[in-house]
Amino acid sequence: MERRAYKQALFAVRDSENALDIVQDTMLKLAEKYGAKPTAELPMLFQRILQNTIRDFYRRQKVRSLWVTLFSSLSSGRDDEESDPLETLVGADIKPPDGPAERLEQSQIIEFIENALQRLPARQRQAFLLRYWEEMDVAETAAVMGCSEGSVKTHCSRAAHALAAVLRAKGIEL
Amino acid sequence: MNEQQTAHRIRQLLNRGLALDASKLNRLKVAREQALARQRVRAPVFVLAWADNLFGRLGGSATSLVPRMLLPMAVLILGLIAVNQWRDSQNAAEIEEIDAAVLTGDLPLDAYLDKGFDAWLKRSSH
Repeated sequence: MERRAYKQALFAVRDSENALDIVQDTMLKLAEKYGAKPTAELPMLFQRILQNTIRDFYRRQKVRSLWVTLFSSLSSGRDDEESDPLETLVGADIKPPDGPAERLEQSQIIEFIENALQRLPARQRQAFLLRYWEEMDVAETAAVMGCSEGSVKTHCSRAAHALAAVLRAKGIEL
Repeated sequence: MNEQQTAHRIRQLLNRGLALDASKLNRLKVAREQALARQRVRAPVFVLAWADNLFGRLGGSATSLVPRMLLPMAVLILGLIAVNQWRDSQNAAEIEEIDAAVLTGDLPLDAYLDKGFDAWLKRSSH
């Protein structure tokens, strides 16, 4: 479970040290605040805390980057986590498909998928991973994300289509 | 390939990509152990355990909230009764003191019933 949590955090923050810190914080918070809860409730609580900790990290990063922007004349133009979806991802990664002779090995495909996940808009990635990797149902995913079930379905659908499009563009057959 | 199939295949690949290097695995293991240790330390601490320790268990299960609530509530009620009685006794003592002063004073008791004297007393006090 913590490996998937680490990967989720890594996809979100793109830094292994920060991702490890986030997982550590999540586990400590879970143990401190919800240690007495029934075991069946723990996975969902863990996910909720994990997502909140990732969001807190984003907030801190935003404050930090605000100061950096204030003290430098460069505006970095960081992409907003809520900013749209498909175009950025597909546009950024479309490359002519490689020839059959250059088939990627499985590890490379995994790496490619992980990179594609990192580039997804945060909410889409979150919904997709909770729903399909953590195998939560739509209602549970909505509860963890604090949004409606309809939004979860939309995010999942967009994420799946975006990933499929990037993989297709790369010539990767799933 | 529909959404479900795509997601399923991606899930399989992501699971295969879960192999991490030793240092990260170790870090995660340490984090898990720390969390478990903290949970073990905190586990026996209940919100109202102090009441249980002071007065003993009233019966029922150890985790039952009702006995745990009863003792602090009883202590609170007894405390309020005690404070009320103390205030009553303070009032009684004060009245007693005034009565004694009135009865032992040189001024006749009727003077306090005289409106003119009362008005003069108020005027002179200003």
